[in-house]
Amino acid sequence: MSEPGGINFDDLKPEEFEQYLPELFATGDGKVSQDPRLQKFLARNPDCAALVSDLETIAETARSLFEPVADPSEKVWANIQSKLREESALSSGQDGEEQLWEMD
Amino acid sequence: MNCEGQLMTQGPPAKPNPGLFKRNPPIAGEAEAIEAAKNGDAEAFSRLYALHKRRVYTLCLRMLGNVSEAEDMTQEAFLHLFRKIGSFRGESAFSTWLHRLTVNLVLMQLRKKGLNLVSLEETINPSEEDAPKRDFGSRDPVLAGSVDRVSLERAVASLPPGYRMVFVLHDVEGFEHNEIATMLDCSTGNSKSQLHKARLRLRELLRHPNGSPSPDVSTEGAK
Repeated sequence: MSEPGGINFDDLKPEEFEQYLPELFATGDGKVSQDPRLQKFLARNPDCAALVSDLETIAETARSLFEPVADPSEKVWANIQSKLREESALSSGQDGEEQLWEMD
Repeated sequence: MNCEGQLMTQGPPAKPNPGLFKRNPPIAGEAEAIEAAKNGDAEAFSRLYALHKRRVYTLCLRMLGNVSEAEDMTQEAFLHLFRKIGSFRGESAFSTWLHRLTVNLVLMQLRKKGLNLVSLEETINPSEEDAPKRDFGSRDPVLAGSVDRVSLERAVASLPPGYRMVFVLHDVEGFEHNEIATMLDCSTGNSKSQLHKARLRLRELLRHPNGSPSPDVSTEGAK
């Protein structure tokens, strides 16, 4: 991967810019469109500016996926309780001393 | 890579990453539940499960793309958690720790299914034919304002597994590239590169949701 350090971004060609994009997005806060080094280049290359805008939109929208939307079925917790109950019984010699998982 | 060793131990004491706590703020009652669970309190385990089941399950579902497997992996994650919760020392947010545990379990599962380190690397590095087109997209409007959570969720589900994994870990879960590189046993540069390719593929999918891309606009075509 290309490292963008020491590059004169004003003289970049679009295909060179694409090579630097992964690193540019990985550094700073990922707001490539606001990078002062790139303002002239992006103004001169609207297609590259559109690409950057789209990739930023995708990254920003992805953060909204952090909050979960789905619950596992009830059987998952039932299975967990069952397994832990078994382990608890085994570890206590099945004498019933440890009834940690009698939740119902 | 010793995935088992990474599942439940936190390694040497480290300075907590404030970013992780910002993204995973402490949950009311969680600290008390963790301490009680360390002492074998079943009610506390139940409380921790209730607090975190959705996040863990959603993470499994996104990475595996299959409800049945996601439920099995959720079960495994919490079993591991409950067996080893004594090793949690609070150096990172509990949910971050739990998510790392879950991710490592999912990766182990994928490797068991045939995605060993070599093939996982291949999955992360699909052939040129499968790679996103270098398309600056001047003939289409930009995505801003047209992408919502539902459309992105759908597009992410259709990503190749390697792309999907890196995208979910970085852009959704908030892991850093060096953390992803450790988990996937690849270089940091590889993680950055694959994330970029994943976003490019998502751009294609979001601009052409019916699979009918516009004529290719190559890099050379961008003025």
